Amino acid sequence: MTIYAVEGLCVSAGGQPLVSDIGFTIGRGECVALVGASGSGKSLTCLAPFGLLPLPVAGSARLRGRELIGMSPPSLRHARGHDAGFIFQQPLTALTPHLKVGRQLAEAWRQAGKGRPRRTDLVALLDRVGLDHVDERLDQYPHRLSGGQRQRVAIAAAIAHDPALLVADEPTSALDATLRAAMLDLLGRLREGGLALLLVSHDLPSVARQADRIVVLEAGRVIESGAASTVLRTPRNAYTRALIEAAPHLSEPPPLLPPVGPPLLTAEGVCVSFPRPGRRRGRVQAVADATLAVHAGEGLAIVGGSGSGKSTLARAIARLGPIDAGQVAWAGRTLPARGRMGRGDRHLMQPVFQDPLASLDPMWRVRDIVAEPLRHLRPGLSPIARAEAVAAALGDVEMDSALADRYPATLSGGQAQRVAIARAIVTQPKLLLLDEATSGLDVLVASRIVSLIARLQHERGLAILFVTHDLALARRLCARIAVMAAGRIVETGAMESVIARPAHPVTRALVVASQ
Amino acid sequence: MIRPRAPGLILSAIVLAALLLPPLLPWRYDVIDWGGVRAPPLSPGHLLGADGVGRDLLARTLVGARVTLAVAAAAALVSLVIGVAWGATAGWIGGRVDEAMMRVVDALYALPFMFVVILLMVVFGRSILLVFLGIGAVEWLTMARVVRGQVMALREQPFVIAAEAAGAPPRRIVTMHVLPNIAGVALAYLLLTVPQVVMIESFLSFLGLGVQEPLTSLGILVKEGADDMDISPHALLLPGGLLVAILICLTVLGERLRDRLAA
Repeated sequence: MTIYAVEGLCVSAGGQPLVSDIGFTIGRGECVALVGASGSGKSLTCLAPFGLLPLPVAGSARLRGRELIGMSPPSLRHARGHDAGFIFQQPLTALTPHLKVGRQLAEAWRQAGKGRPRRTDLVALLDRVGLDHVDERLDQYPHRLSGGQRQRVAIAAAIAHDPALLVADEPTSALDATLRAAMLDLLGRLREGGLALLLVSHDLPSVARQADRIVVLEAGRVIESGAASTVLRTPRNAYTRALIEAAPHLSEPPPLLPPVGPPLLTAEGVCVSFPRPGRRRGRVQAVADATLAVHAGEGLAIVGGSGSGKSTLARAIARLGPIDAGQVAWAGRTLPARGRMGRGDRHLMQPVFQDPLASLDPMWRVRDIVAEPLRHLRPGLSPIARAEAVAAALGDVEMDSALADRYPATLSGGQAQRVAIARAIVTQPKLLLLDEATSGLDVLVASRIVSLIARLQHERGLAILFVTHDLALARRLCARIAVMAAGRIVETGAMESVIARPAHPVTRALVVASQ
Repeated sequence: MIRPRAPGLILSAIVLAALLLPPLLPWRYDVIDWGGVRAPPLSPGHLLGADGVGRDLLARTLVGARVTLAVAAAAALVSLVIGVAWGATAGWIGGRVDEAMMRVVDALYALPFMFVVILLMVVFGRSILLVFLGIGAVEWLTMARVVRGQVMALREQPFVIAAEAAGAPPRRIVTMHVLPNIAGVALAYLLLTVPQVVMIESFLSFLGLGVQEPLTSLGILVKEGADDMDISPHALLLPGGLLVAILICLTVLGERLRDRLAA
């Protein structure tokens, strides 16, 4: 029985077609995945027919036989409220911050016209989405929950009224690798009750495990569609192949181990704590007694789930964040405290952050952003030499020189991250600190950025400290790994042997999630 | 509903008229026309009539608007300078310094500010400069709080940390990265401060503590108009209407800018 059928769907803005002639059908208990890079129109395709975007829509979209396009706003609202549920990428923003989880769910329940829910109804609902300590959770505020728990609550709210169709717009992109696998399993289990699932993602291999059929979009058009296993094994289209290959696999060969010598950077007994939020007293130990070393030209990955303290540790080592105790030394010489880092010290290592747009000053032009480290770290440079160095750095990251006069807001995520990398390498540092530098990008772009970094690493003998939750990506750049959980380094070693024989349960979970 | 461009156009028209028109009028604002005492509107030479001692009301209203706007702009600038400096310092340094600086702001908030201004007038004598400074010194508190919050939010942003990694000294990070990014918000609150300052100036002048005769301001004109409102209501309605128009335009512009930045 067909639940949702889309035919010849077109969405346009200002006369320009954004997506055109899209068609697919989802039956009871089926899952269709809409896959494409960012900007390919996949979110538009799934949200526009439900009147969730202020854009003109043409074509046909039938939900349980009723035509959605051209429906009056009140009936559309009714259709959304009764027959369809939605979950979005950002789990925090999908929940109202000042309402307890129980109130939040009761609201969704009531809006579906099912009256006042009993507490047991809500407990059963949260049990369905696999949340633990359900009875307590009902009385908690959203900010007390982790990202994965919030996403589960958001799913519970979306299925409270037993919709026929669940539309999930990038439901796992904001989650780390371990959570991502668990979330996809959960969505799969919901289908057993007959729920039809429309899954939107840029990550083809990870959704291919759940989807019955895959529809690949490029620039607003369907370029390939078919059974999931067929598309994954024998993609007919080059773009689909690129999407599949962009996702890193644990089967790729890792970089070779560099020759062992005295370490370039050592950190010993690093501890970082933060004041307990909302309390006068007490501190949260974010990093406890962490010790690691990076050799010249080597890649070390710090891998762990969200909240494991990996970014805090990396920032503490780079003297860009707070540190309570511990020694950080460069080639045997102890580095000065955060506020005392001189020109010579700062220029040894440079960071690249997760959100490329947030890491570029919106008021500055690309050219000035890349020139800033030179201005401070090599003040003797003439303006002409500085301009040449900036052009060379932008060339190194394969950026069009025509973009040098642009402001960050006009760049794509991938371009912005290239600018951030150009800024990091323009002073020729010895070590690059990548703080989740690819997590904010879609798979294709992330893959190109990783290739770029691998090339720079090879050409310049750059050492890399790569903070990530993605084991497979880490493996492309790093020969050694340190696994973090709850603020501690729980396992270190050569990448290959750790992946082959993970000793700690957290490492095992990460390895399983990446396969 | 107010048309999108109306407040800006009305305000520009008022400012231009206040700056350019007075020299073109037949009577100066402080010259007495003995033949025109309490002239009604549309009298020859006095388009909008004259006051109880025969001074042209149109000229006086325009000059009054000029003084009121000048006091408002100057006081708003003083509040901007102190508020941004104080708030940015507290927000950037954080910790105990921030605690101490913001407690000072809280303490000043608790003072009855009209009383402070009146005290300043009494101690240092009445001068228009002191009106600027006094009002500005009281109005910076909200600005300081807004700026502090913005700075605290920005200082953890990756681009600020990247500037630190690039070796930029703290002073440069604040002036080159942080302040330009809060300029829009500061401007919005500045526009919302100006109408408050206009109100305070008018109130002080109404009490006889602000601008001195024969110079005038909208507040003084409203007071004089109120004294004679049973005989010549236009002497109250004209400066009063202009004051209301200025206040509404500034508030609408400020709120619109604030909402646009918040979106």
